[in-house]
Amino acid sequence: MSDQTLLSVEHLSVELPHGGDRSHAVADVSLSVGRNEIVCLVGESGSGKSITAHAVLGLLPPSLEIGAGTIRFRGDDIAHADDDAMRGLRGGAISMIFQEPLSALNPLARVGDQIAEVILVHAAPRPSRAELDARVLELIAAVGLPEPATLVRSYPFQLSGGQRQRVMIAMAMANNPALLLADEPTTALDVTTQKQILALIRRLQAERGMGVLFITHDFGVVADIADRVVVMRNGRVVEQGSVDEVLRRPKDDYTKALIAAVPGSRPASTVDRKIEGEPLLDAHGLNKTFVTGQGLFRPDRTVVAVRDVALSLRPRETVAVVGESGSGKSTLGRIIMRLIEPDAGAIEFAGADFLELRGSQLRAMRRKVQIVFQDPFAALDPRQKVGDAIARGPMAYGAPPAEAMADARRLLARVGLEASAAGRYPHEFSGGQRQRICIARALALKPMVLVADEAVSALDVSVQAQILDLLAELREEMNLAMLFITHDLRVAAEIADRIVVMRHGEIVEQGDTKSVFTSPQHAYTRALLDAIPGRSLFAGPQAATAPNAMTA
Amino acid sequence: MRALALSVTGNRGVAIAIAIAQWVARFVAVVLVIATFNFVLVHAAPGDPAQVMAGQSGSADEQMLAQLRAEYGLDKPYPVQLAIYLKRIVTLDLGYSYRQQRSVLSLIAERLPATLLLTCSAFLLSLAAGVSLGTLAGVRAGKWSDTALTIVSLLLYAMPVFWLGLMLVLLFSVKLDWLPAFGYVSIGVPMTPLQRIGDIAAHMVLPVVSLGAVLMAIYARLMRSAIIDVAHQDFIKTARAKGLKRGQIIMRHMLRNAVLPVVTVAGMQAGTLVGGSVVIETVFAWPGLGRLTFDSVLQRDYPLMLGIFLVMSVIVILLNFVTDTIYRIVDPRVSLRAAA
Repeated sequence: MSDQTLLSVEHLSVELPHGGDRSHAVADVSLSVGRNEIVCLVGESGSGKSITAHAVLGLLPPSLEIGAGTIRFRGDDIAHADDDAMRGLRGGAISMIFQEPLSALNPLARVGDQIAEVILVHAAPRPSRAELDARVLELIAAVGLPEPATLVRSYPFQLSGGQRQRVMIAMAMANNPALLLADEPTTALDVTTQKQILALIRRLQAERGMGVLFITHDFGVVADIADRVVVMRNGRVVEQGSVDEVLRRPKDDYTKALIAAVPGSRPASTVDRKIEGEPLLDAHGLNKTFVTGQGLFRPDRTVVAVRDVALSLRPRETVAVVGESGSGKSTLGRIIMRLIEPDAGAIEFAGADFLELRGSQLRAMRRKVQIVFQDPFAALDPRQKVGDAIARGPMAYGAPPAEAMADARRLLARVGLEASAAGRYPHEFSGGQRQRICIARALALKPMVLVADEAVSALDVSVQAQILDLLAELREEMNLAMLFITHDLRVAAEIADRIVVMRHGEIVEQGDTKSVFTSPQHAYTRALLDAIPGRSLFAGPQAATAPNAMTA
Repeated sequence: MRALALSVTGNRGVAIAIAIAQWVARFVAVVLVIATFNFVLVHAAPGDPAQVMAGQSGSADEQMLAQLRAEYGLDKPYPVQLAIYLKRIVTLDLGYSYRQQRSVLSLIAERLPATLLLTCSAFLLSLAAGVSLGTLAGVRAGKWSDTALTIVSLLLYAMPVFWLGLMLVLLFSVKLDWLPAFGYVSIGVPMTPLQRIGDIAAHMVLPVVSLGAVLMAIYARLMRSAIIDVAHQDFIKTARAKGLKRGQIIMRHMLRNAVLPVVTVAGMQAGTLVGGSVVIETVFAWPGLGRLTFDSVLQRDYPLMLGIFLVMSVIVILLNFVTDTIYRIVDPRVSLRAAA
């Protein structure tokens, strides 16, 4: 083992409790992280990448235990070290940051106190109050947070997601760790924020010569940050090597498939689908302001969610509404469905004034706009059989039950599941399968417009690609117009004919997909495009073969 | 842009003043609604209140009835009567108990301290014991000590309050002779002030424990499940990754977060506590409002009952205020969010 090796995991196995779908969470995993390098651990959900990182710090859930193998940190085996020894390392020489900045901080404690805590736990002579305060302020400044003096006194809920992640990083840096374990630290963030956080991690890593084990599912992020890459699947390492080797010349078939599935690595949707004709849906002047009452004597809080938005959708057309969190894109989708009533504006839908419809007319119209949600786990009633979930809609509109059920089975087969799935419950399916069920449910009503609200955002890339393909097929078969709401420009590029970019409730730019990508007009669109992870890699070799890919 | 709402420090005083003003407005509104309800109840009783009162005083001749009607303004239209009644309440005139031949206010004032002492002690004891036992059970979820605690709390929960009180008396007063079985203070024994406090405390033990036991069981169960929930949250993993000891994680990160649902329920249970004191005070001959309520119901002493009803409502509202305040202290999000 060379002096440069900081962490070396050798033949690590973590057993799963009996009765699972496989016997090991991770099996025979070997990898190493050197000083001053970033190693990316990539894989889809269930690949064991997160378990591997947690095993290093001894933070496995109680039901899991390290079976075989060694974990050497600076040469010492810590796989079976006692709790005292591990506590000394945690937050000291090895620190860790997590995916969810919203829940990873104690909601009831001040940010400054939470940072100070990790210093105090490891400081041998207790530092004086002044030293401690100075150190906390210095850390807050080092991670680029504004107004350190005010920030230390604030609570997590007063900060944005990106700011909270910076606080987590400040906490992790408190004791100058030699090794940082980062478990999907940017997955829950907006792309522009992700770009900043990745830059921050890279800067801190370079300044301190840290080793970083960076876990992600996103090959774009890998391309931006990694020195070396380890690819995992089903608890095993399938390939590892330098970032250039793995990303540009992958040897393993799974790695190849994964990289091919990354949205944006394929040519953007360039086929002209010959969309023409009068708009099917034409909305203009839409406004929505949310007002939250604060009690008798306080002024109400108002949030402008949608401001003066005009949007049209022609038959068969797919329009992607792209924006970061809080841009009003989901509110817009719900207004189009009339789940939320706008304060002002008009929606003309299939020749009718949609906002003026009431009672049975409105009900008849509602079936023509259906939605697929982001979280396939929460979108299905866990106590309703899949067939019922799909057939209930048509039955509510008067279809005979037997016919509706036959239709449901046919649809299930169409979206790529067994027709017999109709008799099973949602928990028997994976996330991707559930999303197929949700699509079948939406299509059972034979809608003219399908609203897909972040419909592929919660899925692994390979599943994402399959669902996008399915949607692309279905829209041709059923002459569907689609409103595709997403935060991910790469996904939008794959499926949309036209792209609408939203920020702070307003549309800042819209145009056909190709022109938005090749000649973005608005500075914000350029910033979004610029923040797409992995542009260097994917724009590189492929730019030659597909000149219309993202060469903004 | 929530970060910009950080300038709370300047607004803090104003925010607190506004919160208090809001609370006082709500308090007055609730008391008025209860008083109106009281008024309706009196008029829903068979006959008019004058007949009821006259019946209680024993002499029911026409002259007396007319005199009572004039005195209480019962010859006036209802809205005027309601206004008179509300005005009486504002001036703390709760009426006159013909049974006891005393003003309702003086009767209540005499009994109130004992009840406050009993209910507040039981409230604090049940909270403190429930939270600690629930935490212990929660962090040992699945182990034998958790099972034992769960069984005990279930038993306490299932036990009728009066029966628990009687059993405690049997054990600690009759068998062991450690604690007095009833009353508020030993009578006819000369005592220094300090001895008197000790004596009252000894008298309090059994009623307070009996009254608080059920609530303690409820809080313990709630706290246990809250602790188990919190233990799975991400910030606990963060705390472990910081290198904190298990005890530190429980004290600094789990307790405060887990206690929030308990505080919410404690506020809602305050009414149970005041209601339960009726039974407990009867069992232990505790000279408080509960006992007075019991007597007034048996004697159909309407003015007294209604007066007690009003005062108990006020106590419940005040206990709710206390739990609200505790909640605000524990969870900064409540007050800061409102201020921001």
